Amino acid sequence: MSTTIQPETILRELADLWISLGKESDPNQASGVLRACAMTLITLVEESEDTSDVWSVMAALMPEHPSRAIVIRFRPSAERALSSRVFSQCWMPFGQRRQICCEQIEITASDASLPDLPPVILPLAVADLPVVLWCRAARLFGLKGFQQLAAIANKVVLHSGAFGGPADILGRLDELTRSGRILADVAWTRLTRWRELIAQIFENRSYLAQLGAVRRVRIGFGGATPSSSAYYLAAWVLDCLDSAGANASLIWGPGEKVPEGELARVELTTSDSGGLQVAITVTGDAERVCADVRVNVLVSRTVFAPDNDYTLLRQELSIPGRDPVFEKALGRAARMAATEKS
Amino acid sequence: MSLENPFQDPLRFERRIPECAVVIFGANGDLTKRKLLPALYRLAYERRLSSGFAVLGISRTPMSDEQFREKMCSSVAKFLEDSPFDQEVWTGFARSLYYMPGDISDPQAFLNLAARVKQIDAERQTGGNVLFYLSTQPSQYAETARGIGEAGMADGKGWRRIVIEKPFGHDLASARALSEELHKVFHESDVYRIDHYLGKETVQNILAFRFGNGIFEPLWNRRYVNNVQITAAESIGVEGRGAYYQEAGALRDMIQNHLLQVMATIAMEPSATFQPDAVRDERAKLLRTIRILKPSEVLDHSVPGQYGPARIGGADVPGFRQEPGVDPQSQTNTYAAATFFVDNWRWAGVPFYIRSGKRLPKRVTEIAIQFNSAPHAVFGENAEEATPNLLILRIQPEEGISLRFLSKRPGAGMKLRPVSMDFNYGSSFGERSPTAYETLLLDAMIGDATLYTRQDMVEASWSVVEPILDVWQEQKFDFPNYAAGTWGPKEADEMLARRGHAWRRP
Repeated sequence: MSTTIQPETILRELADLWISLGKESDPNQASGVLRACAMTLITLVEESEDTSDVWSVMAALMPEHPSRAIVIRFRPSAERALSSRVFSQCWMPFGQRRQICCEQIEITASDASLPDLPPVILPLAVADLPVVLWCRAARLFGLKGFQQLAAIANKVVLHSGAFGGPADILGRLDELTRSGRILADVAWTRLTRWRELIAQIFENRSYLAQLGAVRRVRIGFGGATPSSSAYYLAAWVLDCLDSAGANASLIWGPGEKVPEGELARVELTTSDSGGLQVAITVTGDAERVCADVRVNVLVSRTVFAPDNDYTLLRQELSIPGRDPVFEKALGRAARMAATEKS
Repeated sequence: MSLENPFQDPLRFERRIPECAVVIFGANGDLTKRKLLPALYRLAYERRLSSGFAVLGISRTPMSDEQFREKMCSSVAKFLEDSPFDQEVWTGFARSLYYMPGDISDPQAFLNLAARVKQIDAERQTGGNVLFYLSTQPSQYAETARGIGEAGMADGKGWRRIVIEKPFGHDLASARALSEELHKVFHESDVYRIDHYLGKETVQNILAFRFGNGIFEPLWNRRYVNNVQITAAESIGVEGRGAYYQEAGALRDMIQNHLLQVMATIAMEPSATFQPDAVRDERAKLLRTIRILKPSEVLDHSVPGQYGPARIGGADVPGFRQEPGVDPQSQTNTYAAATFFVDNWRWAGVPFYIRSGKRLPKRVTEIAIQFNSAPHAVFGENAEEATPNLLILRIQPEEGISLRFLSKRPGAGMKLRPVSMDFNYGSSFGERSPTAYETLLLDAMIGDATLYTRQDMVEASWSVVEPILDVWQEQKFDFPNYAAGTWGPKEADEMLARRGHAWRRP
């Protein structure tokens, strides 16, 4: 690995790339390739991770969120070393004759060279367009230089579930959010399907009218202790119930037959026996997950479309600014996790 | 306690859908099978329907709930567009489907219907909200609305809305008479006249394009726009609908409703808000400013056509008069073209050319806004270099927007060539676009009438079209006047040539 890289060299290589793409296209066409770019998307991964998975996610995102994609692969090393290569991702829309292409840059770096990266990345970010940083390697979050790199981005996406205990990471994320940083946590993004189902139930006015009488919230999950997702869901439900005037208590339901950290069931019940009883339960396997929604005696079933890096990131990229609902839930989740830890 | 749902998160969730029952009249018909049920199933698949939701189908055919569910299951699986059929989602959705046989000419059928709606409301918790969808013959609209009213179903504890499909009358007088009948039972704000063109993503995108961007609106007027062409072409013929089409024709079937609405969306003034009535007020205002042709102007400003037989791709294609159920001497227009002018400050003098036809070379619907050429030919008088800028809004088949402008050819000398900058919905947004019926049904359940046509809009567009129809009716045209597979009669080309223009080749 070479020890340094020059942003000007990368930019020149990108320019050459467009020229060669133009030459490869059919000279009889009125125009060759179309460049599409709506943002700069920086992704941090471990060098040991198979980058083909990451590039597959980028490729899937490109039609909806065309970007200059920069993937930085880190290897744990004290030696300061950086190297790079540039290439493009093109696709031919169905029924069209012209390719649409996006720029891709792959940088390999050692942990020790993390502080050297911001001056490299800053000129590579596309002018006037948002920068999003997707951190897939939790280890990097604590390294020297990470926050300077994150400061280039308008939004940072990470997954709190990849860190140790939820109390510490939720507390840290809450602090960063309060300091003005725009963050997204994939553990929260995963909850959208659950939250949407709950919200949909209470679109029914007769159920909504009983919301203030909800006294018990039970959240079932796999494993012995709640994950950050469970804390988020509990915090959000309790916040919403508070605003409806309900005085509800939370009961954790550990040991459900789902993988550790995953959610299995949410129940909301009123105090009186003939009152409202809502339960959402996931069923199925890794291939196909369904949710059974029971409201009193009415039962319906819906498919939980599979979550993956593409669907989660796609959701976050469509929210460029602050997400007040997330930030409010994060604050309460952090407090709940800290209280339970102590 | 506030009645707002505190769980809603508009940043991430799709729009709210209240609990309701959808009552479909003509539930055994093609529209229900091909469009309505697939659209409702798709909304269920995307978890957009309330848990308190039900569909009650009614038609003359005797059928049980279970038989209706089975029938709809195979239709939905067959007619779903760009979407998988999931048996488990269907099983859940099917529980909300009900059916009852009934003849709308029988008052007892409406009383039975009222009792069934009440029973389903209790069973499925639909909150007393009912959307009546009239998927029947237009001649039955008034009778059905009356039956609903007489059975006491137009009022109740929840909202009551009625959706009707075009045609909304066959002329101005009949459109007014229909509205009067509907208004005896429903308030105009509860009447949803569906125009599936307005539900298409690109038609909605016209509003986003015009009013969400600051750079186009300053050019959107007579100073910069030379002419506007709206084309809705179909490559197929009447496909077994000869008898119906013979009564309608292209001018009534397409221009009076869909294309004048599209024109209104292109030419309307910006509304102050995106509230349904604010947008519809502007559309209606525009329709009222379209110049109404005098009888003496009609034949100069409009061209009817009818396709004759031809050989396309080695196969013989019948002419309209050879289609089953069509009078061999029919004077029906299977093609219609017209030049309209908008009498307001913004558009004075700008021609809006609209054409629609069957058996044209390809299926395409698009709007082309041709801008004035550069005022001075700096680079010479070469015809290609004088190509004016063109903005094309494609509605189907590939929804998107293209801007054509001139660019220098690489190499020595200053040779220009037109290039096209494309935005394509399919490639720019990986997400599947909802079908027009998904969008419109959702809007009706939510109570958003922005994309629905209002009585004054219907009447204004009939006022524009009726003088043309009157003159055409008095004439005997030498039909057929275009061969199947061509871009229409030569008179349509001449109509534009008189103003120094030519139809684009889409």
